[in-house]
Amino acid sequence: MDDHARKFQKDLNAGLVALVLLAVLDQTPEDLYGYEIAKRLQKANEGEALFKEGTVYPVLRALSANGLLTSRIVPSYAGPPRRYYRITEEGRAVLQSWSGIWRQTRNFVDRFMEGVDR
Amino acid sequence: MTRAAPRSIEDYLNQLRDALQGADPALIQDALYDAEEYLRAEVASHSGKSEADVLELIASTYGAPEEVAAAYKDTEAKVSAALRPMEPKSAQSPSAIRRFFGIYSDPRAYTSLFYMLLTLATGIVYFVFVVTGLSLSAGLAVLIVGFPFFLAFIGIARVISLGEGRLLEAVTGERMPRRPVHPGAPTGLWSRIIDMLKDARTWTTLAYLLLMLPLGIIYFTVAVVGVSLSFALIAAPLATIADRFGWLTLDGRGFDIQPAWLLDSPLGSIFAVALGVLILTSLMHGARGLGRAQVALARGLLVKPGR
Repeated sequence: MDDHARKFQKDLNAGLVALVLLAVLDQTPEDLYGYEIAKRLQKANEGEALFKEGTVYPVLRALSANGLLTSRIVPSYAGPPRRYYRITEEGRAVLQSWSGIWRQTRNFVDRFMEGVDR
Repeated sequence: MTRAAPRSIEDYLNQLRDALQGADPALIQDALYDAEEYLRAEVASHSGKSEADVLELIASTYGAPEEVAAAYKDTEAKVSAALRPMEPKSAQSPSAIRRFFGIYSDPRAYTSLFYMLLTLATGIVYFVFVVTGLSLSAGLAVLIVGFPFFLAFIGIARVISLGEGRLLEAVTGERMPRRPVHPGAPTGLWSRIIDMLKDARTWTTLAYLLLMLPLGIIYFTVAVVGVSLSFALIAAPLATIADRFGWLTLDGRGFDIQPAWLLDSPLGSIFAVALGVLILTSLMHGARGLGRAQVALARGLLVKPGR
């Protein structure tokens, strides 16, 4: 990716990573910790990663600080204690409204992209 | 800015710490904690490869230290900007009276007051520990056991300082270190003693622990005198009334509640209650402020700067 592409991707990711994280945690019944979440995203996106896994963690913390996720710490034998995340009711409500906005935005943008792709 | 790509987890964390220099210490700690979780899990999941081999690929998966540092700083800036308008508008300018009495609904004020009472006990323990440890270390220095003794003494002092930090975090809610500073690569006994003697934090930690005795005496005295004085002033008019009706007796005799010249007049009684409330509320404000000042002092003396 060149610099323009990288910058564009970064700007896009600003809100989308949070949306994807809420969706991932909404779809799993069990709590997940940062590494698991990062690996799931990596697996879903074979090929070149759209974002670095390291950028997932600060967003998780921000969502948690805003009350959209709750977290608990579980000791681990393999290293430092792990922080497990779970989506809250507020998080689910936010996800609902965000996914509506996302669909709208995607349709809107797609309408203009039709002639561009070749 | 461009450094050699990290070859070990320790290396990566050090580079990340450097890249985050100047950021909020709590943010630095979060970032290091998250990175360590990921890196250790990543290394563990590639059991066939060496740590260096796994780290070589880390820049393309987890991200290089600079990238990750930038992500934390960006998110922090965005979140704090997004949270600001969410705070209730009315909280911006409560009346002075509401602000003054609002202290009673702040749990930090109560915990800080409790901390003030506790410091007498912890201050005595810290002081005795440091004085005993230092004098025994000095005395034993001529013998070979003096060196391991000194090492153990400083080690315990660091654990105590971590505990004091945890206590202060519980009391004030201010973020304090959660884990001891990594001692670094293992070296010989002699070089570790030299390092400890050269480390300014060793001496500031001991100074803090010594200082807690006089501070503890002052805090304890102020808290006890303040609480008992204010409660006495608030209760005195009630006690005077109860005494007058003969409800308050000991072995059939009434009490002589002082200062009678003040409590005999209704206006004086109201004044006593008002003064008591004023002292109690001021004490609560003072306790909360003191908790914060204590955190600043602990950060300066117990937490290694830049770490």
